[in-house]
Amino acid sequence: MKNFLNFLLEANKLKTIPRTGWVLMKVKNPETIAGHTFRMVVTAWLLAQKKNLNIKRVIKIALSHDLCEVYAGDMTPFAYYLHLPKNKTKREKILMKWIRLSKKEKNKMGKRKYEIERKSLLKLIKFLKPKLKKEIFSSWLDYERGISKEGKFVKQVDRIETLIQALEYFGTKKEVGGTSWWEGTEEIVDDSLLLKFLNTIQKKFYGRRIKSSKEQKELENVLNFLLEINKLKRMSRKIWQLLGVKNPETVAGHIFTLILMAWIFGQEQPKLNLKKLLKMALCHELCAVCTGDLTPYDRILSKNKKENKKIFKKWLRLSKKEKEKIFLLDYKKEKAALQKLASKLNPPLRKEIIQLWLEYRNHNTLESRFLNQLNALSVLLQALIYQKKDKNFSADFLWEWAFEKCEDPIILEFIEELKKKFY
Amino acid sequence: MSTEKKIYLTKKGLEKIKKEYQDLKNLKLAKSKGDFSEVLHSEDVNPEYLSFQEDLNFLEARLFEIKDILKNVELIKLPSKEKRNIVNLGAQVTLEESDGGINEFLIVGSLEANPNEGKISSESPVGKALLEHRIGDEVIITSPIKVIYRIKKIKYQSL
Repeated sequence: MKNFLNFLLEANKLKTIPRTGWVLMKVKNPETIAGHTFRMVVTAWLLAQKKNLNIKRVIKIALSHDLCEVYAGDMTPFAYYLHLPKNKTKREKILMKWIRLSKKEKNKMGKRKYEIERKSLLKLIKFLKPKLKKEIFSSWLDYERGISKEGKFVKQVDRIETLIQALEYFGTKKEVGGTSWWEGTEEIVDDSLLLKFLNTIQKKFYGRRIKSSKEQKELENVLNFLLEINKLKRMSRKIWQLLGVKNPETVAGHIFTLILMAWIFGQEQPKLNLKKLLKMALCHELCAVCTGDLTPYDRILSKNKKENKKIFKKWLRLSKKEKEKIFLLDYKKEKAALQKLASKLNPPLRKEIIQLWLEYRNHNTLESRFLNQLNALSVLLQALIYQKKDKNFSADFLWEWAFEKCEDPIILEFIEELKKKFY
Repeated sequence: MSTEKKIYLTKKGLEKIKKEYQDLKNLKLAKSKGDFSEVLHSEDVNPEYLSFQEDLNFLEARLFEIKDILKNVELIKLPSKEKRNIVNLGAQVTLEESDGGINEFLIVGSLEANPNEGKISSESPVGKALLEHRIGDEVIITSPIKVIYRIKKIKYQSL
């Protein structure tokens, strides 16, 4: 358990590391590596289900692809230029285009990047159990080398997710965003479905005319869905905002942690359907796109900050009737939001997303009961990280919540580990 | 289901995939004999096979995939001398921009592509845009934002 905890604490750093490309391009409050990973996992899932690919593997590869960046940092291809010029104009000129290097230089720098990232990942997973260590390493390696169909697919999805984000940040004007993202994407994408998806992106952002078909319409709806859920990369978790945390984790960051926990804890539970658990973790907070991030405190907080401080000293004290009332109100609101968000996706996918969320909220399956416990654990872990950084912050009230929710022996064992680590 | 589409590989790529096929078959055999853990912990095991070691279904799927590749493979050969000024599979293409910027790609099949190392797929939009062009041609590489290059050099060598 100590090894799980250390791994999660290190991986958690990805929620605070901004992606280098956006920093270089001077984007204000850019997405983090965790935020990118969140939407990339969703993108990979939604598109992979249209192909004959192993979805569990796709999700694992997408989830692990940037884990190495905990220590290696986000090495964009611009890192291939050992020294970017200090002169602002010259520097910007380089950044506006994709890398221009000889094959020999690309080969040399690519291998260097690979080696740095490999060592970084091995450092991160060093103390995990051999089976999990192998699983994470092989997923990353598959992404890097494109060993399986799934690895090749995810690698291309990674670039597409970045392209969409670039278009969201810079729009379509060459003068603002350059050609870099398109060039980089068009060098790598050769999958037939993903090439069609690039056309969909062109239609959406550039008004390109393309022949209408059922498949094209479906891809358009997937793109619109992805654009909607991007809001979660910027949406701060409300509970931390209420508690005055500066630069708190986002909803996307929280989902990233939860899906990572679902993977490492879930594979210890042979009775659980891991693929379902991973997907459920991805879906559990998507409704926040429409409802905002809801907390159990929303209906009882007052405008008086001092009063609220008292409330946060303890977990909620409510009657069963009041709890039921709050649950139902939130449940209805979230269900309607998710139905609206997923309404345009193709029926099987829409049904699956809604079904996963319903199970999660109703605690009526093995996976949903386990994920609810993991969710409480992830919130407690984040609170303890904030508490360690800021002595005025107290995670005490969340212990109560965790003890109300958790019953699984592995999770309880992990909670004991948290006590040892933080107290 | 079997793919009918031709799969292009360099000689080295083909050797690598044949070796992987043999190694994975050995892994499968070792697993059926029960001495799998010895193979697993052997230092000789290629890390690229790690994912197939734990999951027999995935190992089977990969073996099936490689069989399909081997069935449809076509070796990337050096073109005849008169065709070496035309971009095709196996060509290393040097491109020049109007501001003097130089970029370079090796055109390979989808399986061997790795743009991080300068190897791009002939089926990617950039690869497709370059195919069939000659030295001196002007090529528009990307859409919807155009990037114009002039083909400066085309080089073929045994791969």
